[in-house]
Amino acid sequence: MNKQVVEYASGNEMAAIAIKQIGYDLMGYYPITPSTQIAENLDIMRANGETDMVMVAAEGEHSAAGICYGASVAGGRVINATSANGLLYAIEQFPVQSGTRYPMVMNVVCRTVSGPLSIKGDHSDIMFILNAGWPILFASTVQQVYDFNIIALKLAEQVRLPVVVAYDGFFTSHQKGRCLRFEDDEVVRNYIGPKVEEYPFLDLEHPITVGSYMNEPDIINNRYQLHLAMEKVNELLPELFASYGELSGRNYGKVEGTGCEDAESLLVLLGSSYDTSIDAVSEMRAEGQKVGAATLHVLRPFPGKELAELIGESANILVADRQDSYGAGGGNLSLEVRAALQKSGSSSKVKSLIYGLGGKDFFKEDAKTMLKWAADETKPDFDYYGITPGEENKAEGQPLFEPVTAERTNIGATKVELGESLKVTGGTLNAVTAMPGRIAPGHGACPGCGIPVNLNLLLRGIEDPVVFLFQTGCGMIVTTAYPRTSFKVPYLHNLFQNGAATLSGVAEICYRKQQKGEIPPGDIIFVMVSGDGGMDIGMGSALGTALRGHRLLIFEYDNGGYMNTGYQLSYSTPLGARSSTSHVGKEQYGKTFFNKDMPQIMAATGIPYVATVAESNPTDFIKKAAKAAHYAKTTGTAYVKAISACPLNWNDKPATERRVIEAAVNSCYFPLYEVEQGVTKLSYDPEKTGKKIPVLDWLSMMGRTKHLQKEAYGDVVERMQVEIDRRFAELKKRAE
Amino acid sequence: MAEAKKYGGLTEKLKSGKEYYEIRLESIGGLGANLCGKMLGELGVKYLDLNSSSFSSYGSEKTGTPVKGFIRYCNKEKEIRVHSPVVEPDLLVVFHQALMKDTSVWKGCGQDTAVIVALEPGQEKVDGCCGVFYGLEAQRIAMETHSRINVVMLGAALKVMGLETPEVGEQICKDTLGQKYPDALEANLQGIRRGFDEVRMLEVAAEGNCSCGSSSPQEWGYETAPIGGINPRFGSTVVADLSPSRQGYIPLFIKERCINCGLCHSTCPDMVFQFEKGEYKGREMMVNQGLDYYHCKGCLRCVDVCPVNALVRGVEAEHPYKDYFITNQELVRKPEYYEEAGPDGYITSESYLTEKRMEGGEV
Repeated sequence: MNKQVVEYASGNEMAAIAIKQIGYDLMGYYPITPSTQIAENLDIMRANGETDMVMVAAEGEHSAAGICYGASVAGGRVINATSANGLLYAIEQFPVQSGTRYPMVMNVVCRTVSGPLSIKGDHSDIMFILNAGWPILFASTVQQVYDFNIIALKLAEQVRLPVVVAYDGFFTSHQKGRCLRFEDDEVVRNYIGPKVEEYPFLDLEHPITVGSYMNEPDIINNRYQLHLAMEKVNELLPELFASYGELSGRNYGKVEGTGCEDAESLLVLLGSSYDTSIDAVSEMRAEGQKVGAATLHVLRPFPGKELAELIGESANILVADRQDSYGAGGGNLSLEVRAALQKSGSSSKVKSLIYGLGGKDFFKEDAKTMLKWAADETKPDFDYYGITPGEENKAEGQPLFEPVTAERTNIGATKVELGESLKVTGGTLNAVTAMPGRIAPGHGACPGCGIPVNLNLLLRGIEDPVVFLFQTGCGMIVTTAYPRTSFKVPYLHNLFQNGAATLSGVAEICYRKQQKGEIPPGDIIFVMVSGDGGMDIGMGSALGTALRGHRLLIFEYDNGGYMNTGYQLSYSTPLGARSSTSHVGKEQYGKTFFNKDMPQIMAATGIPYVATVAESNPTDFIKKAAKAAHYAKTTGTAYVKAISACPLNWNDKPATERRVIEAAVNSCYFPLYEVEQGVTKLSYDPEKTGKKIPVLDWLSMMGRTKHLQKEAYGDVVERMQVEIDRRFAELKKRAE
Repeated sequence: MAEAKKYGGLTEKLKSGKEYYEIRLESIGGLGANLCGKMLGELGVKYLDLNSSSFSSYGSEKTGTPVKGFIRYCNKEKEIRVHSPVVEPDLLVVFHQALMKDTSVWKGCGQDTAVIVALEPGQEKVDGCCGVFYGLEAQRIAMETHSRINVVMLGAALKVMGLETPEVGEQICKDTLGQKYPDALEANLQGIRRGFDEVRMLEVAAEGNCSCGSSSPQEWGYETAPIGGINPRFGSTVVADLSPSRQGYIPLFIKERCINCGLCHSTCPDMVFQFEKGEYKGREMMVNQGLDYYHCKGCLRCVDVCPVNALVRGVEAEHPYKDYFITNQELVRKPEYYEEAGPDGYITSESYLTEKRMEGGEV
C-alpha cells in the first residue's frame, strides 16, 4: 500500500484534492450550490500555484458543459462539477458527449430540482441523467468521493465514455470528517496512467470529423456501440475496484450491504442514508432482529445481477427513494431494484418509500422505522415518509396590509410629462415617502444590503401598479422564504436563465386579457428583477426579450458577483477583485477580465430606454424609474441597471455603503447616463464638477479590491483605469 | 471547575460508554461559528486521538441570520455514520444573547447538558431551565484581544469539555491561521486562552416552566398549504423581528433636529422609517414619525447619511425603551406575534468568507 495522510475534510474538499492530484488540464464550470466549493477550493490551489489547471468560469452550465466537451475532444483531461437545475440546464450536452465518446469526469453533488426553489440535498437531479449514456458512480461517504474520483477517470478513458461521480449535497459534500489521501500525487497519476487518443483531434496531419450527420441506418449502430461500452464498464469495474483496493487498502464493489446474508427485512437506499442505516442495522441486530441494508455504488450500468445476489433472498425489501418518478409508484431506484429482482427470479416483496426530499434529515431512527415498515403488512407498498398534513390557523390568514392598488400608488410625487421629449418632474425624497411599499419589511437581506435600497428607489418612482418577476438571486431568497413572502404585489420567480422570457409571457397574456375585457384595463408595469449573475446566465433570454420588444422593465442590481452562494465571480465583478472563484495568491491577482458593460449591450438591441442609476443620486434614480416605467407600458422594453452594495462580500462597512457607491460613480467605473430612443445623455459628469477620482480610490474602499493598492498590482489598476477612461470617453462622445 | 468534568467532560462521557459526545453551536451569521465548529471537529482527529465530524446548518449566505453548528466525537475505532443534526447535545454553545429566547435553541437539552452562554458586560445570571450553565463575556474578550468571538467560545468550550489546558485549541488555530495569516494569529491565540480561563459557572436566574424544544405545529402541510407553493399571504415577512441581527448599536432619532429630507428613508434597506402626512415649518409635507425597530438590523446607513445628526448611533443596551418606536404604519392589523431572527438560514461556503474573517475583516 502507498503512503496516505489524514485529512479532516468534506466531500467537496476531497473531490478538489483528487482533481488536483490527478492533474486535470481543464475545469469548465458554473457555480451552483452545493457543488461550488469544488471549484472554489481548486481556485485557491491555483492562486497558490499548487495546480496549473485551466479554470473556465462559464456564464451558465450549458456553456460549461460545452467548454468541457470541446476540451475533451481536443484531447484534454477535463473535469466539471454541478448540481440540480445546473445539471438539467446542461442536459442536452451529455448525450452529445457520450454519443461521440469523449471521456471526462463530472461531479454531481445531488440537490433538489426546483421549483419551488430548494438548495438542499435529494436525488431528484441525478435520476434525470440515467439515460444520458454516462456511467454513474455514487459515493456514500466523503472517503468514497475521493476514491471514486480517481477510479472514474481511469474508467472513463478505458471505455471512452464520460463518467459521473455523484454524492449527497450537504450531507456528504459539506460534512467534514476524517479521511485519507495519497501523500504523493504520482501514485494517483500512475494508477490512472497516460491518456491515449486513438484519433487525436488536433493532429493536423490526420484530420478527423467529429459529430457526423447521421440517421438510419447508422444511428442505431452508434447507439449499440455505446451499449457495448456500458457492458464493458460492467466488466471493467471489478478489476478497477480491485486494483484500487491494492493501492489504497479500501475495497469497493458495485453494491455494498450489511446484514444482507440472513436479513428478513432489508432497506435499500443511496448515499449518506445508507451510511446511517449501517448503524441502525447493527443496533437492531444486537437486539436479535434479522435486518439488513444495502446500497449501490454504481447506478449506470445498473448492477442488477450483483444486487439480486446480495439481497434477493430477503423476504421483505424496502427501497427508500430520495426522489419520485411521479406516477410510477416509486422513485427510479425502486423501479430498477424491482426490475432487477424480477429478472433474477427473486420472490421478495418490495415496498417503496419516498423520503428526505429537499434535504429533510435522515436520522438513525428513520432507518429503524423503515426496516419495521418493510415487514409490516399493515403498511402500504408505496408511500411518502415524513410528510405533514398541517393545521389550519384562520387568524394567520387575515391580510396584514391593504392591497397596493393604483389609487394608492398614484401619489403624484413623480410626474412624466409628454412632449417632444419626455420630461420627468418631482421625485423628491420627501414626497416619495408617501408611496406605499410594494415590498414589506422583515426580509432577510444582510444589514446594509443595497438590493432593497435600490428596489425601493425604483418603486418609489413608479406610480402604476407593479407585477414582479425575480430571477434567482439574493433578492428573491431573502424575500420569499416559505411560508412568508415580502411581496405585496403579484410576484413570480423563475430560474435565472429565463426570467425575462417568462415575464414576456406574463405581459402578453395580461395585454390580451385586457384587450378581451377579461380583466380590468389600466396600466401595469411588469418588472423583471435580476442580479448581475442572472444577467450572465440569463443574458440570452434578456436580449431575446429586448429584441422582441415586449413592454416590460428589466431591472438589474449589480453587486458584482454571485453573492447568494458565497461570492463567486460574475462577468460584472471588477477586474482584479478577489472572489471565491478568483482568489488572490502568488499566481493570481483576482479576476482576470473586465466588468461587462451590460447597458451598452442592451442599448445595442435598440430598445427605447436604457439607464444606469445609483443610490448616491437618488432623485436621478427615481426620475429614471418613472421614465423607464413610462416606456415599459407604452413602447417596449426598458432596462435600468443599479450598482448595488454588498457589505458582506465587498467586505466594507454597511453604514458607509452610499459613499462607496458614490465613489464608484465619481470614478466613472459606473457612469450615470441614459440612452433614450437611441440618444445618449450623461446624467452626471464628475469631470465637470471636479469630483472625478482615480479608480484606485474606489477600489481601496472595499476589502475585495484593497489588495490592488499594492505596488505589485499597479499594472492591473492601470489597465482598469485605461479601460474606464476609454469607456467614459466613448460615452461622452455619444452624448455630444 | 471540577464540575466541568462531571457535566461536560468529553473523555468521561466517552469512557462511560456513550456512543458520541455531541456539541451544538447556536450562533448568528457573521460571528464565525462555522469556523469554530470546524476547528473543534478537526482538533478531535488531530490532537485528541478521537474520531470526529462537523458541519453547519445550511441555507443562503447572509449575515445576521441564525446558524447552527454540529460536532460529534467518538472513539477512534468507531466510524461516524450519523449525518443528522445534533438533537440532544452534551454541550450547547450560545454565541449571542439574542438567541436565548428562541426555543429551538434549547431543543433536546436535558439536566446534564452543559450550556455556555456569551454574556453581556456585567451580566451575572441567565434565564434557563435545562442544563448546567457557564458563561463569559465573549464579546468584550474578543474586543480586548482583537480576536473574534468564535475563538473565545472555542477556548471556553475546551474548558467545559474538561480539558486541562487550551493547548489543542491553540494548536488547531496555528494550523488554521498560522501560515496564511501570521499577523492575526497571536490575537486569536490570546482569545482562546482567555476564553478558556474566563468561562465560569453561572447562577440560573429563573427556573420557569421548561419550554425547551417546544415548537408550534406546522400550519401549512399537504392538506392545508395552497397548491404549488403559492403564498397568498402578501407582505407576511413583516412579522419577523430582526433585532437579533443588530450587533450592539441602533440608530437613535432626535426628532427636534429632523428636517424631513427623506435621506434616511432612501438609504434604509429595511423600510424602518415611518413618514406620514403632516406639517413641518408651516409647510404641508411628509413628516418622519419614527422608526419600526422590529425591522432595524442596525446597519446605521441612516446615521451616515443624515445631514443634521437627527439620527445618531447609540448603544442598544443603554436604550431598552426606544423613543419614537413606531410599528409599521401600513399594517391594517397587529400581527399576533413577532418572530425572532431572520427568516433565512446560512450556507457554509467557506473559502472566501472564512479567509476574510480570519483576516479580521468586518462583516
